Amino acid sequence: MTTGFDRRRLLQGSAAASALALAAPALLRSAAAQGGPIKIGFPVPLTGAFGAEANDQVRAAQLAIKEFNEAGGFQGRQAELLVRDDKLNPGEAAGRTLELIEKDKVNFLVGGLSAAVTLSINNVARERRVIYNSISQSDAINEAKDFGRTTFHEALNPHMTAGAVGRYVFPKSGKRVAFLSADYAYGHEMVRGFKRAGEASGIEVVADIRHPIGASDYSAFLPRIAALKPDVLCLCNFGRDQVVSIQQATEFGLKRNTKLVAPVLLFTSRKAGGEAFDGVIGGTSYYWRLEDTVPSAKAFNDRFRAAYNGAVPSDYGALGYAGVRSVLEGVKAAGSVETDKVVTAMEGLKADFYKGPQSFRKCDHQLVQSVLIVESKSKGLKTPDDVFTILGTEGPDERFLRGCDELGHKA
Amino acid sequence: MSPPAPGHALAQGTPLAAPRPGSGRTGRWLALASRHRVALTLAFLVVFPWIAPYQALAVNILVLGLYALGFNLLFGYTGLLSFGHAAFLGGGAYGSGIAIAHYGLHPALALVAGTLLATLIAAAMGVLAIRTRGIYFAMTTLALSMCVYYVFYRAESFTGGENGLRGINVPVLTLPGLRLDLLDPMVKYYAVLAVVGGAVWLFSRLLSSPFGAALEAIRENEGRAQACGYDVRRMKLVAFVISGALCGLAGALQAIHLSIVPIETMHYSTSGQAVMMALLGGMGTFFGPFIGAATFSLLQDGLATLTSHWQLFVGAIFIAFVLFLPLGIWGEVLARLRRTGW
Repeated sequence: MTTGFDRRRLLQGSAAASALALAAPALLRSAAAQGGPIKIGFPVPLTGAFGAEANDQVRAAQLAIKEFNEAGGFQGRQAELLVRDDKLNPGEAAGRTLELIEKDKVNFLVGGLSAAVTLSINNVARERRVIYNSISQSDAINEAKDFGRTTFHEALNPHMTAGAVGRYVFPKSGKRVAFLSADYAYGHEMVRGFKRAGEASGIEVVADIRHPIGASDYSAFLPRIAALKPDVLCLCNFGRDQVVSIQQATEFGLKRNTKLVAPVLLFTSRKAGGEAFDGVIGGTSYYWRLEDTVPSAKAFNDRFRAAYNGAVPSDYGALGYAGVRSVLEGVKAAGSVETDKVVTAMEGLKADFYKGPQSFRKCDHQLVQSVLIVESKSKGLKTPDDVFTILGTEGPDERFLRGCDELGHKA
Repeated sequence: MSPPAPGHALAQGTPLAAPRPGSGRTGRWLALASRHRVALTLAFLVVFPWIAPYQALAVNILVLGLYALGFNLLFGYTGLLSFGHAAFLGGGAYGSGIAIAHYGLHPALALVAGTLLATLIAAAMGVLAIRTRGIYFAMTTLALSMCVYYVFYRAESFTGGENGLRGINVPVLTLPGLRLDLLDPMVKYYAVLAVVGGAVWLFSRLLSSPFGAALEAIRENEGRAQACGYDVRRMKLVAFVISGALCGLAGALQAIHLSIVPIETMHYSTSGQAVMMALLGGMGTFFGPFIGAATFSLLQDGLATLTSHWQLFVGAIFIAFVLFLPLGIWGEVLARLRRTGW
């Protein structure tokens, strides 16, 4: 009596099954190459201290995807965004990037929202020759050691931001400058940028104080700074540190003799910090009131408002949009999704997506773009989101970047 | 001597003297399984990447499993709760990472360098920590590991400080007569498994040795072990160092896997992760750490993909495990098998 199940059948079946299993990735890959969706991996810290920023980035990035698809995509191929939570942790980000590249077979990567995370994503992507457009501030990512041909940097870097703010503030407010900075790479890079910018106006550094990251009490530092009566105090810290230190400096009465300056004045930080921010000057890559003077900003804001119940995009949110759009425009210009061709196309992009002209510098793929100088206010607001006055704009110019040879790029 | 049935003592609440086969058939099976525990563990790990959501996660679980295994030598088998094991994972990661990124060493040598660095850190920490007991031991290891964290955080030119160490790039592994493309995730998994497998086998040998039995004696009753003539303090120190070396090897593998070493690797929350994984899987069980690492990672990964409130759910699930499965997942499985013939 046969059971309808013998060893030969089993062997044949399992051989066929394993052949299929082994061939499956190859089959899938060729299918994707022929015209599945164009996949963009988007690792951002949905959980962690910058969850609000990250959500804004996702919303803005989705907008760029939607525009691309509504305009017909590329050769009939639609784009899709694969959002992953990197938890603001470089190790997690590396694992998620591996997942996006190896399992999801993404064509491109955009994202990251801390220097350590962005450098980690970049290292994984660079090894696997996948284009990664970073939307986080970092000086290190421009340097030859971390740079790869697939590395692009859509965000500002500390050198540009602090430089622009310094060049605006020092001639106007005085030469005696004190620094209070968070003791990590971001803080150090910002201080370096300010000092460089200050050389031209001959600033005198009266104090260079570092506080541990995540400090909640600045009373140990503020009396020392007040006693020196500096003309300018640069607060080189980020997020919650920035909010708390500005609030405490204001309560301490530092503003009577001293101009408070933050290299990056975040829209979300200002909303959290409230009136204490009054009169603080800082830099930003984007502020929605740019729409008063720049048509592309108006168009971008209007689309964002229409999509998200009248909300306006934040600075980092706008970067999410621009980061994705740069890559997709690269695809269109290259007429291909192949890495090499898209890199070349992106190097040649001269565009105005949302803030005025922007283009990538060839040696380090840093986006040459404008920096806005804004001052915080809390009186006479047009809308609750109207929290800054744009004092000035430093236009896009390669002179404001560190030189290619200084970064270690061979000409 | 065949090793004691894992989890048994905890399940029964009785001191563990010798392996006692359970009832009939189950007992025979369990005895057989524990004799071949290395082979069974490896068999599971060989098929694991085919069931994991993606290979990079599978490699993470391998590495974390080894980390929890090393931790478990001290925690589950010797009865010492350390809160400083991140220093060893991080030491191993930075050791191998620096060897590759700064000195261009061969990955095999880098693994040795990482393990050595972790062993040195463990020896230094162990000498100081072994003098204390219980909660003081946990606090001392925590404090010492944070000192190590700070040293590595400050040594920016070597470790990259806050930005982490990058450039640990091993696209191809060349061994005599072998050329492995580590950018292929499957190849990478099995290459890492080869190393982890060796470590698991060594670990098993260690547990089966008189030394391993002595460690369990210390766990069950330190005074009695001392009275039997064992040099308890020295044994604890040796266990501490070996545990550190195993965790260091895990770190070294992790550095090569992720191609970066974030400073977070050394943070005390990473030490807490080892405790969590060992508890989740079953402290003092051989296979528990891998189950713990897999549960921990798969839960976090799966939930984080579904919701940004993953922490809430992960926390609730962990609490449920600790409340309802005090022996850990694997420990509970073993205890039930032992109680009931199936």
